[in-house]
Amino acid sequence: MDALQRAVQPPGAAGYGPHASGRGGGGGGDLAVPDQFPVGLRVLVVDDDLICLKVLEQMLRRCAYNVTTCAQATVALNLLREKKGCFDIVLSDVHMPDMDGYKLLEHVGLEMDLPVIMMSGDGSTNAVMRGIRHGACDYLIKPIRPEELQNIWQHVVRKKWNGNKEIEHSGSLEDNDRYKRGSDDADGSAVNEGGEGLLKNQKKRSIAKEEDEPELDSDDPTTSKKPRVVWSVELHQQFVSAVNQLGIDKAVPKRILELMNVPGLTRENVASHLQKFRLYLKRLSGVAQQQGGISSSFCGTVESNIKLGPLGRYDIQALAASGQISPQALAALQSELLGRPTSNLVLPSFDQPTLLQASLQGSKCLPVEHGVAFGQPLIKCPSNVSKQYQQSILSSQDAPSGFGPWQATSLSTVGNNNIVAGSNIQSNNTLMDIFQRQQQYQQKQQLQQQQQQQQQQQLPQQPLLEPSRLINVQPSCLVVPHSSAGFQAAGSPTSVNQSSTYNRSAVIDYSLPSYQGNTALNTGLASDKDLKTSGVLGGYSVQGSISPTLSSSSANADSSNCCPLRNPSAKYNIIGQAPGVVSDFSNIQGSYDAKSGEAIDQGLLKNLGFVSKGLSTPSLFTVDEFGPPLKQIYSGKVHLESSAGRVKQEPSFDFVDAKVSIPVLEQLSSNDLMSVFTE
Amino acid sequence: MLGWGVDFLRAEMNRLLALLFHQGVLDEQFLQLQQLQDESSPNFVSEVITIYFSESEKLLRNLRMLLMDRELSDYKKMEIHLNQMMGSSSSIGAKRVRNVCVAFRAASEQSNHAGCLRALELLEHEYCYLKNKLHELFQIEQQRALASGVRYPAQHD
Repeated sequence: MDALQRAVQPPGAAGYGPHASGRGGGGGGDLAVPDQFPVGLRVLVVDDDLICLKVLEQMLRRCAYNVTTCAQATVALNLLREKKGCFDIVLSDVHMPDMDGYKLLEHVGLEMDLPVIMMSGDGSTNAVMRGIRHGACDYLIKPIRPEELQNIWQHVVRKKWNGNKEIEHSGSLEDNDRYKRGSDDADGSAVNEGGEGLLKNQKKRSIAKEEDEPELDSDDPTTSKKPRVVWSVELHQQFVSAVNQLGIDKAVPKRILELMNVPGLTRENVASHLQKFRLYLKRLSGVAQQQGGISSSFCGTVESNIKLGPLGRYDIQALAASGQISPQALAALQSELLGRPTSNLVLPSFDQPTLLQASLQGSKCLPVEHGVAFGQPLIKCPSNVSKQYQQSILSSQDAPSGFGPWQATSLSTVGNNNIVAGSNIQSNNTLMDIFQRQQQYQQKQQLQQQQQQQQQQQLPQQPLLEPSRLINVQPSCLVVPHSSAGFQAAGSPTSVNQSSTYNRSAVIDYSLPSYQGNTALNTGLASDKDLKTSGVLGGYSVQGSISPTLSSSSANADSSNCCPLRNPSAKYNIIGQAPGVVSDFSNIQGSYDAKSGEAIDQGLLKNLGFVSKGLSTPSLFTVDEFGPPLKQIYSGKVHLESSAGRVKQEPSFDFVDAKVSIPVLEQLSSNDLMSVFTE
Repeated sequence: MLGWGVDFLRAEMNRLLALLFHQGVLDEQFLQLQQLQDESSPNFVSEVITIYFSESEKLLRNLRMLLMDRELSDYKKMEIHLNQMMGSSSSIGAKRVRNVCVAFRAASEQSNHAGCLRALELLEHEYCYLKNKLHELFQIEQQRALASGVRYPAQHD
């Protein structure tokens, strides 16, 4: 390195004393300091003003730096690109005819990641601010004094330091660090951070988990030592064209990586570069986009994460649904899912969005953006129910592993939930207990349930109060969860609560009465299934219950997702939250919980009304279906298909099939769902 | 001529510089420039000043052309030129020229054509004054160099 060549120079070389500036003074070995760092610093000066250029050159020589001058920004940029790594720092004028200094600054920052010092005779706050915003590490006002140039080496050092930190930091933000931080953050963030923060983190984490795990397992978690990717001009252009092809909003590292098709390039590299690129665009626009801001750094990924998250949850839900039927079934499903884990990540998310878009645009509440953004992609994805389930199944598998740490957090989140919708949750708990008790009886009572369901169907026709009462009585026995879901809202306190929570979520998300009915049913189903499944299963079962809702509405599905991740107890809470859930990933739940709680409250009132409607609506179809559903529960996966088939068979359900597809049908097994559709 | 001697010429230079400083034509940046001159670039100051003159005259021509087009004066372009003029003037320590540039730029920012014209005339005037004085300075410098050049060989002989 030049520094070594120049090491012979006396320390005084940096001063203004007369000495040969251009070359390392050969003679004076007496004062030589072997490794005098700033000496030989390779500086590129870019200025269209020849006078400044000449003066600067001379001044920098005096500082014993290795100076290269360039009068044109474009030439300088080419020089920088050709001789990558040949410069330590760049001094650039702001006003240049061929290229704005800010633009050069952007390019250098983006492609070379070199410290850039801006210079200008214009020392207005505006100009300086602009320079800083574009990433200048310093802004010198002309005339530039030698004293200022003597110190520029500090920026080189600082950049290297910060660069290392950034790598670690960005890593944590994007993909890498989450491995390290893992669950610790989850707790804190879920409780403390704002919704946005949570969303970001969770999304990122979930993305990382779901997206990266399959492909990046080989990647060393200790990111700080990762080899740095040099973004050459060609590489950057490939990147930009890939982004343009995808559209800046939909550009996701993974897809960009696919489009670029560059061997050796990792998703993280692309993600990091995309982050910089977005920052760059943002700076250019000068306007900090609000929501974009969240995603700004990670837009694409974040969204994708969200989607993925929901999908995964969906999967979980699906699993739950299957699981609800029987734990064994879940295990089987998981094994199946394992077969194609990667596909789960992408496809599930897509499927969900499609579903959501199709059925629920109103549900946007939390997930809104995701749904919108992915709407197109979703369309692309095949909407086969069976596929979705499989995916969902896969996701469920992923979920346990990925979210394992989160479960602990789930407790905390649960606490939050309680705070929000305290009464509801408690009631849920009580319900849960009841359910559990009932679980034991369920099998025996299944027959009874069928009967009860029939009764319930009959009840709906009757005034609300009566049905609820009837239900209440029954719930204690077996059915409570299922049939009561709708009825609970009407009257029974404990059972009502659960149903109400579900209803709320449903209502909130979709604001559709018919859906509410479905949700209610779902909850009921879930509870039943839960009862059957033990702790973890319970979580899944919840999902399962949700899954029906999902079929009807994406939001519900999401909520179910949350549930699976968390403990069973959490699951129940989640159920209540389900509405909010959509947004969420287990992590996020904390933030949303509050909202969901509120929503729930409102929803409850509405739900009651809806419930009543559902109840009132006679469900001939439901009656028919009920018989099968019960059976389905036992059979597990098979039930799903069978139920689907059944649904299809029924004329009234055609609509359902189109939108919801099989998953719904399964869940639909409950009478309520049927009634909803009939409505 | 030779009789004046190096010391007299040096004193003459200092007197002229002091005057220019006093008038505010130059500032300490010019001294900075002089200090940058060393064996590796013995004519550094005059080289820089020469470039400055040629560049500034180009800029002044452009500015005048821009202002002559009364209706379609491109103030944006004018500002760009002025920024450059300011940068280079401040780099050599041409304080008054720089100050006029600032006023000029302010006028162009307001699209004040009359103000710009006045500023341009003032700028040209300041520039000419600076150029004359610097030429004077360089002439003395050259004489001094000559004197010393003549003298040292004589000593050696």
